[in-house]
Amino acid sequence: MSYGKKDEDADTGLVKIDRTQVFQEARLFNTSPIQPRRCRILLTKIGLLLYTGEKFPSTEATTLFFGISKLFQNKDASLRQMVHLIIKELASSADDIIMVTSTIMKDTGGSTDAIYRPNAIRALCRIIDATTVQSIERVLKTAIVDKNPTVSSAALVSSYHLLPIAREVVKRWQSETQEAAASTKSSGGFSLGFSSSSANLPVNNSTMTQYHAIGLLYQMRMHDRMALVKMVQQFGAAGAMKNPAAIVMLVRLAAQLAEEDAQLRRPMMQLLDGWLRHKSEMVNFEAAKAICDMRDVTDAEVSQAVHVLQLFLTSPRAVTKFAALRILHNIASFKPHVVNVCNPDIELLISNSNRSIATFAITTLLKTGNEASVDRLMKQISGFMSEITDEFKITIVEAIRTLCLKFPSKQAGMLQFLSTVLRDEGGYEFKRAVVESLFDLIKFVPDSKEEALAHLCEFIEDCEFTKLGVRILHLLGVEGPKTSQPTKYIRYIYNRVVLENATVRAAAVTALAKFGVGQKDPELKRSVDVLLTRCLDDVDDEVRDRAALNLSLMHDEDELATRFVKNDSMFSLPYFEHQLVMYVTSDDKSVFDEAFDISKIPIVTREQADAEDRTKKLTATTPSLKPPKTGPTKAAPSAADAAASATATAQKYAQELLSIPELKEFGAVLKSSPVVGLTEAETEYVVSVVKHIFKEHIVLQYEVKNTLPDTVLENVSVVATPSDEEELQELFIIQAEKLATDEPGKIYVAFQKVNGEGSLPISTFSNVLKFTSKEIDPTTGEPEESGYDDEYEVSEFDLAGADYVVPAFASNFAHIWEQVGAQGEEAEETLQLSGMKSIEDATEQLTKALSLQPLEGTDVPVNQTTHTLKLLGKTVGGGRVVANVRMAYSSKTGVTTKITVRSEEEGVAALVIGSVA
Amino acid sequence: MAGLFKRVYDWLLRTFWATEMDVTMIGLQNAGKTSLLRVLSGGEFAIDSIPTVGFNMKRLQRGHVTLKCWDLGGQPRFRPMWERYCRNVNAIVFIVDIADVDALPMAREELHSLMNQPSLDGIPLLVLGNKSDLVNKLTVDELIDAMDLKNIAHREVSCYGISAKEETNLEAVLQWLMKFANR
Ligand SMILES: Nc1nc2c(ncn2[C@@H]2O[C@H](COP(=O)(O)OP(=O)(O)OP(=O)(O)O)[C@@H](O)[C@H]2O)c(=O)[nH]1
Ligand SMILES: [Mg+2]
Repeated sequence: MSYGKKDEDADTGLVKIDRTQVFQEARLFNTSPIQPRRCRILLTKIGLLLYTGEKFPSTEATTLFFGISKLFQNKDASLRQMVHLIIKELASSADDIIMVTSTIMKDTGGSTDAIYRPNAIRALCRIIDATTVQSIERVLKTAIVDKNPTVSSAALVSSYHLLPIAREVVKRWQSETQEAAASTKSSGGFSLGFSSSSANLPVNNSTMTQYHAIGLLYQMRMHDRMALVKMVQQFGAAGAMKNPAAIVMLVRLAAQLAEEDAQLRRPMMQLLDGWLRHKSEMVNFEAAKAICDMRDVTDAEVSQAVHVLQLFLTSPRAVTKFAALRILHNIASFKPHVVNVCNPDIELLISNSNRSIATFAITTLLKTGNEASVDRLMKQISGFMSEITDEFKITIVEAIRTLCLKFPSKQAGMLQFLSTVLRDEGGYEFKRAVVESLFDLIKFVPDSKEEALAHLCEFIEDCEFTKLGVRILHLLGVEGPKTSQPTKYIRYIYNRVVLENATVRAAAVTALAKFGVGQKDPELKRSVDVLLTRCLDDVDDEVRDRAALNLSLMHDEDELATRFVKNDSMFSLPYFEHQLVMYVTSDDKSVFDEAFDISKIPIVTREQADAEDRTKKLTATTPSLKPPKTGPTKAAPSAADAAASATATAQKYAQELLSIPELKEFGAVLKSSPVVGLTEAETEYVVSVVKHIFKEHIVLQYEVKNTLPDTVLENVSVVATPSDEEELQELFIIQAEKLATDEPGKIYVAFQKVNGEGSLPISTFSNVLKFTSKEIDPTTGEPEESGYDDEYEVSEFDLAGADYVVPAFASNFAHIWEQVGAQGEEAEETLQLSGMKSIEDATEQLTKALSLQPLEGTDVPVNQTTHTLKLLGKTVGGGRVVANVRMAYSSKTGVTTKITVRSEEEGVAALVIGSVA
Repeated sequence: MAGLFKRVYDWLLRTFWATEMDVTMIGLQNAGKTSLLRVLSGGEFAIDSIPTVGFNMKRLQRGHVTLKCWDLGGQPRFRPMWERYCRNVNAIVFIVDIADVDALPMAREELHSLMNQPSLDGIPLLVLGNKSDLVNKLTVDELIDAMDLKNIAHREVSCYGISAKEETNLEAVLQWLMKFANR
């Protein structure tokens, strides 16, 4: 145990204990005969120092350690116990600690019930190193199966710590561990009983040993799935385990197995279902949580868990209610309709005196409620906001913010709510949450724009937070000029110039200028001019500079000035940041010979950035009161993570591609497709592909993993043959030199678009893996001299229209639909999607397949039988693509859709439809 | 009654005249240190004694004297620690396997380099040739030569042949040690 930082509070209320003084006193250990009582007190002081973060320098620690080793084998059992405890803590800082091995070993063994035995075992595992583990093997093996649970637990936990140091040795103790797990001896409860009156182990009635044994067994068998399955089945059987914590481990393990292997999902689910009815609540909750976290969990699978959780909602104990509600809240984020049945019970909890429960109740209801119930809930929350802390307020505001995006038609009520809470008392974080929600409304719900702006204007009149003031002013500058009555905002902005501190004044000046530059109305332009001119007399340099700059931009206006002020496109910020960090932290000095090259940073339009932002916000599991994730389950990435990771992936690709000299001259990558698997996951060679679109080139990036043990593949390449060689001409292949077992490698195949920049070739590629296979000589570990050449054919994949479009966001669909319709072309297709189980399913799949952005909240179907999905995107060339997808669902035929696509560029509409037809 | 008197007398002795002395036992691995200590403390001799990792400590009671015996591991990795455990002890016992002729030069080297440590000046040294029950063994005089004991200065040096297995000559060892109890 070592705490990184010294605990500042530790000495309050206790006797002051000083390290140097304790070190001086430690001479006591060398006096003879030994005085057990005094030594114990001194050891306690050392322990206190160590536990509160004090560190003895290595020389002092070593001296102490040698002193303490004089105390060994004393008759006083409690002194022995203390000695072991302190040796354990000093083990990491003192030298030559290995010297005490034999002595400590003596204290671990025997059939005695001496009180210091567990302490000795625990100390032993701290001082041992990989080379000496063997010598304590016998001791630990017998201790693991000791009839006293306290001794057995100590041995199990120690083995757990030794496992990483000496895996092979510790793995030999499996049968003992198994025996410990199965034994239902109970005598446990950890009493540390430092009483000198009894030198014997206190009676221990706990079954905790089982938990420790299961934990160790798992660690030992971690890489052997069959063994793990056996273990879950054996110990998961009813009655096999007494200890609830041990069963919780099994629950997590079962969930993990189900996750990793589809075959195991059914049997594991059955076990989990059984655990829902276990007599321990802890087990019930863990099972419910595991079921809900399961990837692609079906409604039927969840319903039993929901039912059990619902019963807990009426429990008299607050913790139980809280735990149940927290899981339900989690389910509600992705399966609101399943949690619906609990709504009556959850509603009762809104007024619960425990505010954590009440907040979860409300946020859950906000998710499960339909559009109709939103207003009622909002009213209820309003009555309750004044009673809760800022932290909970933020949670609620964030829930509402997501709701705004989901039900744009409800914006009036929510706006009302947000503006009210904006006037309430509250700290910065809370105000920021409200202001950002308003920002989102303005950005994504056009109908609410003017009113939301009005609320913000009112807010800055009396806003104590400079940071928020600045952000709002910036937004007013961006949005104000586009509204019907810009003058209204100018007044508010100018007020800030008169009344605020320099930072806010400077922001106000910049905002004002946005009304002036490019202004068509001469009257308006003149008044901005007058106001800015007044700012030239400001006392602050920055304010004056900004005023002067903007005035000059206004006076001789050109395109550059407009572009500068409107600032419609920007650098891809996540990528920009990443590159800067890479540059600044580079180890290679020569990197700094050249200045940072900003021209390599891709530029995105505000629309693109907004589109990404919206997806992220909408799919983010609302409130930030996220329950911490437990268990080894790696849940399927949520949509929010996916959105966040999409940006990261794009960056990663861009960087990888840039680092390959041959590909550098193709320029920036315009679009990278998602990863397409070309083999099953369990084949000898696992192959997947990513399609990268460049201006005049297409690059196929294959990732190949060789799963055959003891073989290496050399000179691995892929022969990719497009169905249409007229349009795509292969330029070169960059092969992977060497693929060792389970070490994935990359192969790139580059094609030239024969018809140049504007063309969007589509094609089906057939792919054959070619390589030289060599076996590894088991004696040398080196591959053999000669191998044999081999081929391996993998699935085909399509390069389709969707590969050329990227999602884009705009607030008004109808307008764009008409605009694009007027200039461009249209294609239409009716499809029968019998595989789709619901409208929701179809919505998600089509959006993905078309690679377009859903607009106006149409990504959340309200009606279960019919739905219209509105989509927008841009081709890599910049032309807009709009799609209108009408769907109808019937249980017999699945989902019928009629897709209409319009595009600005020729041929694109048909191409895009082609990617789903 | 007499028994009771004896116990009271012993108790008085221990309480008022009790002396504790430290003795460190060193020597190459397999010399028989742990075996000797076990036998001295009344234990059974064991053929399959396991090598000592670090050190062992045992108390021997002789009348009113308690001997704290530190039995150190003889493997090379523990030898640098010998000096530390020899500081300020009442006596050092160096044990040699007299049936293992090949190990003698190494034993001599280790012994001399330890005895040259200034921190150990003046501490009496007892060299024991162990395993005298075996056939191909050195005599005490041969051992004195092999270990070059004549050249060890600044201390009292003695040399005995013993056998832990057959418990030969052990009383002499204890007698010798007790001489230093009150220093
Ligand atoms: N024949 C015979 N064998 C002995 C005698 N004393 C010890 N042995 C054997 O010698 C071997 C080593 O004995 P240990 O006492 O473990 O040796 P050690 O000096 O403690 O060794 P380390 O702890 O590694 O330094 C054992 O197999 C003993 O049985 C003896 O007097 N006669
Ligand atoms: Mg030994």
